[in-house]
Amino acid sequence: MDFVPGGELSRRIREGDVSAESELIRQFEPGLRVLLRRRTGGDHGLLQDLVQETLLVVIQRLRGHGLEDPEKLAAFAAQTARNLAIASLRKTERQRTDIDSAATERNPDTSRAVEAIAEDFEAALAVRALLRELPQSRDRLMLKRFYLEDHDKDVICQEMQLSEAAFNQALSRARRRFRQILEERGFAKRDLLNLGL
Amino acid sequence: MNQQLIEQYVTGRMSEAEAAAFEDYCVANPEFARQVEFEQRLKAGLKMVASGSTAEFVRSAPADRWKIAVAASVVLAVVAGAFFWQRLPGLQPQILAAAPVNDQHEFASMRLALIRGVESLPQLPEGQVRIEIVGLFDTGFHYSIALDRLEKDKSIATVALLNGQHPTSPVTLEVLIDSTQLEPGSYFLRVRKQASDEEALDFSFVKT
Repeated sequence: MDFVPGGELSRRIREGDVSAESELIRQFEPGLRVLLRRRTGGDHGLLQDLVQETLLVVIQRLRGHGLEDPEKLAAFAAQTARNLAIASLRKTERQRTDIDSAATERNPDTSRAVEAIAEDFEAALAVRALLRELPQSRDRLMLKRFYLEDHDKDVICQEMQLSEAAFNQALSRARRRFRQILEERGFAKRDLLNLGL
Repeated sequence: MNQQLIEQYVTGRMSEAEAAAFEDYCVANPEFARQVEFEQRLKAGLKMVASGSTAEFVRSAPADRWKIAVAASVVLAVVAGAFFWQRLPGLQPQILAAAPVNDQHEFASMRLALIRGVESLPQLPEGQVRIEIVGLFDTGFHYSIALDRLEKDKSIATVALLNGQHPTSPVTLEVLIDSTQLEPGSYFLRVRKQASDEEALDFSFVKT
């Protein structure tokens, strides 16, 4: 798909071009998801809310007085997302200190939360399939140590007696297969539908 | 931007300033952002699998599958025994039972899931209740489900046990609880994958 530069998007939205707003959402949503995923600790409901809120703030700003430097639209959207994530975190912290006893006795809305964690389930199912396919336990342990235990690549290579090239190759193979499994199961397609593409 | 930077970002090896510059680039480049998101999902998936058990990371190679087949046969025999045992009238109180498949009977229902940050517990409705346990299940295995009660002295008493339950989907396991046979109190369903060393998962609820 064609990429529309930030300056042009800003100008068109300011002029009332609705298709430019759709284009902005299409272009920015993947990056905002990355940024907010890192800051929402696996709470996909919150992630989705913050993505929507960010896009709304950005579009309203462009419809109004616009940006000083329209070419920096992506950086503005990213900073807006970061600010909203910080504000949301502060709000949650405040709520934790203001819990009333009546609220704790109410039943939680588990259905929404369950949907929110479904995406991680899908990824976990794909990981499980991937782990089954990896013939060597060395590769499985390597993934665990690198992604979950924060071990440095050179330490893992040294302890597992691997060259850096072999490590990168195994990692790349695992990554490629993970993506393939997700796509085979239709998860990636569903993600695209969620994004409205 | 290259794969090394993606790895550094996803594994938290970037400074805040570097991460901010990386994020600005992601927002401006949707295709690149999708690559990063796959990496984030790989990490999230690994984390979720590891939270259930680390056994999947250290299991032996597929050459040992015949052993699994033998174990599965034994499990199957046990399951078959349990299945017929539970259907013998008068021998087993049906506090906890397998959820009927495609049953026309309308049961009350309750959904249980492990949700971070939830501060109140679901409340078990009256009567026969279909319990939908939401988690990550391996459809190739059977699960045992224990209904445990938390006593006043904080000890745990097992009220009922059901073996050989098969997940209805990779994320759902269903059972039936007769709430009329339960005293008020705090309970949890302990779900364990049979023939594996994975830790059990506990799903709490209350009966009023």
